[in-house]
Formats: sequence, structure tokens, C-alpha cells
Amino acid sequence: MNQNTDLLTLRSVSKSYGTVPVLHDIDLSIRDGEFLTVLGPSGSGKTTVLRLIGGLEPLTSGEIRLDGQDISRMPINRRPFNTVFQDYALFPHLTVSGNVGYGLSVRHIQRKEIARRVAEALDLVQLGRFADRFPAQLSGGQRQRVALARALICQPRLILLDEPLAALDLELRRQMQVFLKSIQREIKTTFLFVTHDQEEAIGMADRICVMEAGHIRQLGTPHDLYYRPNCEFAARFFGENNLVAGKLGPVQGELRSIETTLGRLVCSISDQPHLKAATDGASAYAAFRPEALHLADAKDTDNHFSGTISDMAFAGSSTVATIMAGADNAAQRLRLRVPSRVDGSALKSGETVSLSFAPHEGHLVLA
Amino acid sequence: MSALPRLSTIFLAAITTLVAVLLYSPLFVPIVSSFFTISHGSVDWSSPTLATYVALAENHDILTALRTTLIVGVCTVILSVVSGTLLALYYHGRRSGRSLLQFIIFLPFLMPPIISGLALLIFFREIGLERSLLTVVIGHTVFVLAIVYRTVLMRLQSMSRTLVDASYDLGATGWQTFWRIILPNLSSAMVGGAILAFALSFDETMITILVTGTQSTLPVRLWAMMRLGFSPDINALVALILMFTVLLCVLAARFLIPRQVATERT
Repeated sequence: MNQNTDLLTLRSVSKSYGTVPVLHDIDLSIRDGEFLTVLGPSGSGKTTVLRLIGGLEPLTSGEIRLDGQDISRMPINRRPFNTVFQDYALFPHLTVSGNVGYGLSVRHIQRKEIARRVAEALDLVQLGRFADRFPAQLSGGQRQRVALARALICQPRLILLDEPLAALDLELRRQMQVFLKSIQREIKTTFLFVTHDQEEAIGMADRICVMEAGHIRQLGTPHDLYYRPNCEFAARFFGENNLVAGKLGPVQGELRSIETTLGRLVCSISDQPHLKAATDGASAYAAFRPEALHLADAKDTDNHFSGTISDMAFAGSSTVATIMAGADNAAQRLRLRVPSRVDGSALKSGETVSLSFAPHEGHLVLA
Repeated sequence: MSALPRLSTIFLAAITTLVAVLLYSPLFVPIVSSFFTISHGSVDWSSPTLATYVALAENHDILTALRTTLIVGVCTVILSVVSGTLLALYYHGRRSGRSLLQFIIFLPFLMPPIISGLALLIFFREIGLERSLLTVVIGHTVFVLAIVYRTVLMRLQSMSRTLVDASYDLGATGWQTFWRIILPNLSSAMVGGAILAFALSFDETMITILVTGTQSTLPVRLWAMMRLGFSPDINALVALILMFTVLLCVLAARFLIPRQVATERT
């Protein structure tokens, strides 16, 4: 397994249902052995990408290549991929081992061999004791693991997971995230995981592909997406973010300034050549995380502005202040996140404060 | 329910009981009286007896009619289950002409049997098909097809589409998917439909009278006996047919309750 070689490549893939386009000219490479998450709100086309790769739907145009070979027209049952469906799609008339062994038995593999591999797969997902149960007798999390075992027993090149955790409650979902990730590390198979939950994506993925309205907006590591979103959609989609609109100013090495209602702000543009290349005066946003914003002190030479605290919200480990900032103190809504303290926050609602963020903690997004 | 005041609950129970008694007690009269002899036109309640049943068992005509009924029933079931399932699969596959097809399937079941029977009779005469058990089987199949079709179709529609997707996804061919996934999930609906079809065929009278040749089925035989006058063994026959039909319906219900519930109970 070499994470640098491409396993699967989508080239200018488009898909329409009738006259309604759902995917526009998608290009995507999936690396061998990686955990790639396709993330997007509902209607973004993320499940369609999975269904096209799995062969559940035909492409409208473009091609899908596996190891360089065009497989766009390969029938679903010949593709070396297996899917974990959102509703698990366990066969209700078969036992757990019947379900898990199905993919082998339709290939006429010997019974003994099937029994051995079923036992192995069930051990891997820690369901050995449940081999003779029927799906209706299992809990949601157990069904989920049966579906996973059923997919991975066929030793697919790629496992496709269609929002597999959506039906589970929060606690179980967290456990399954850890579990899925550890299984993926153990069997070293490529996972393509579709979800609308950005927290899930950040926690599990090696790389995340952000989709919106049938387009890929950004592809990168969770760290990239969080700290270097390349578009407004990604900047707003991941966690909380402060976005301040303005016009780009001159480049100063790895920094670039932007004229905003909060005055001149300076943000990092390192490793983002398209921001260096953008013309002066172009519309853009300064983006900085609520945890990067802080009360200004003497060390802060850049990015000074003042605002009035309009609300304080206690959220357990941290407290979030909503601040109205800008010339008339109402132009821009910002969020400031500080660690919570047992004796209450120093910040009070209604107070006017002086704020700042470090230039390397801010970034720019073209509008 | 618990919100209802106690008095209205009692009132509701009383009404329900009254309606049930008025509607259904006539059904029990022949059953009860079949265990007593009738002399001089009235039931002799003093001595319960199985004599009427013994008489029935020795009646050659009745036994022949029973055999005919069973043959017709079994043939009708086979024919209607196979064609009903195929038609349901066709309909479910969203192919052309499906609403017209569904309309035609339901028509004979909803029309008065005498109309269906007459239509069949005229049809058989036109194509020169002699009236026989074959025409009876065809008549019954046309009549009960809607039940089997509907039962199987409902199960198909409640089956998750992703089961079929999952089967293909795991490498199965179309045939394997049909035999190993679709058919097993339909089987209990098919059995339930078959039992209902058998029960309907067992009781069917009107169409049978019109399209049968020389042989008569049990209900037709009963009809013929009634025309000659009321005899005690009629009670026994009515009782037997009634009990058998109830048994079949209970059995059918067992197969038609959703599978999930059934497995969760075990």
C-alpha cells in the first residue's frame, strides 16, 4: 500500500437525473490506502459520487479509472468495491454469518473456506458470538458492524460507506468512528466515507473532499480545510469562523493586507499562491477562528479593532462571546472563544473591548 | 383509551357485543345444530350425536365433490401463485402498461361473480373449450389472482430497494439475486397468498356453477342438496366448510404478519 499512488480516478465526471444536473465535471483522485471523506450538505451530490463509483448508477459523462483502466461501464457485480449502505441493507432472512458470507458464496467459494473467513471477519468486528442471530435481533451498532464485515470479507480494493453512522445516537456514533478508523488502519484498505457531519469528517479522514451543489469545493487534509479553506463555502462550513468582507491590499512577503470595515487587517497567505497572485482591490474575506480572536494587549501590533460584547454563551469547556464590531459597533458580528473558568469570565455582556488576532492565525478567502 | 370515562367504555363494549352477536351468531346455529338430530322439522336438543357427520362421510357424492374441490384448489393455487408473483414482479419493475395491468387483474375480483362467470362461459364457448375441471380452474384463477398479486406486491414494495443493490454490490448476478434474496423475502407472502387463494377457491360457487362440466365442487354440491330440501347433513357440511375456511384464514394471517415481528418473538 502506497498512499502516493492513485487507486481510483474520476475524470470530468458528470451526472444528471433527466434534465437535472447533480454533478458537474468532477475530478477526484483517491489514493491507495487512504481514508477519504466526501463531505457536503444534503443535495451536494456526495452520495451520487459514491453510487457512481460503486456502479449503482451510470455516469452521464466522463470516466472512472481503476489502476488506470476505465471501469465506467463495468457492471456493479464485477467491480472490486463493496458498499456499507446507509440503512445497512442486511438480508433479513439470513443469519449474521449468512449475511457476511454472502459475497463469498455467490462466487462459489468452498463452504469450509467461507466458514473460516466469516469467523475471521466477525472476530475483526467483535461479533463472533452473534453469528447465528438474525439482523432483526441485533442493535443498530451491531447491524452496522455486520454490514462492515460483509463488505470487507470480499477483500475489496475500496470500501464505500454511505453515511453509515447517521442512524446511530451520538455516543454510539463516536465509538463507531474510533472503531472504523482502527479497522481501516488494521486492514489497510481504502475507505471512501460519505457524510454531512463535519465533526465526523475532521475526526476520521486522512483527506476531506468538500462538495457543494454538485461541485468539489476543496480537497485536503482536515488541518488544511480548517486553517486554509480556499473558498467561502469551506470557510463557513467547517466549525465556527469569523469572516470579514473587504478588498485585497498589497502583499508583504508571506502576509497580505485587506481593507475591511474593521480597518486594515493582515493575514497569512503562506502556501497559497493563488492569494499572492490575486489582483489588488479584489473582493475577499479575512477569516479567523473564534479561538484565534483575543483581547488586544501591547504585543499586538496588527489587526486592532474594538467591539461591544452583545452576548456570552457558556458551552462547557469554553465560553463564546458574540461581539458586534466595526465603525458603528454593529457592522460585523464576531465570535470570540475563551476557555471557561470556574469563577466566571472576565468578559461581561455590554462591555466594549479592544480585540486582535495574530496575522499568522488569520487567512484570506477570495469572494 | 384510558382517557375514556369508565361509563362510556362499558357502553362501547355493550354495543360491540350486541353487533357481534347479531351479525355472527347465525353462523354458529348450523354448527351447533349439526350435533343434534332433526325430527319432524325441529331440532331435538336432548341427545347430541355425530350421526350427521357419519352420514356425510358415507355419502359418496360428497366425498367425490370434496376430492374435486381439492384438485381444483391445488391447481388454482399453483397457477395463481406463479402468475401472481410474476405479475407483481413485472409491476414492481416499473415497466410500461402497469396501471392497465393492475386494473385488469382487479376487475374479476371486484365484479359480481355472476358477470365474471358469464363472461368466462361465453368466452369458453366461443373458443370451443369444453366445460370441465380445466375451465373451473381457469375461472378460479382469474378470480383469486388479484389476492395473490396484491399480497406479493405489497411485500415487494415493503422490501428495501437497497437489499437488491447490496446483493449486486456483493458480486451476485441477477439470477442469484432473484433466487437468494428476492424470492426468500417473498416466500411467506406467497404462502399466505396461496392459503387465501385456496380458501377462496374452496368456497367459490357462482363462477363454478357456470363454468363446470359434469363434476361439482363441495359448495356446488351443497347448493344442489339445498334445492332438494333441508337435510341434517347440510348443517354438518356447512359447519365443516366454515371451520376449514376459518382455519385457512388464521393460517394465512400467520404468514402475512411482517417477518421482523415474527423473528423478534423467537
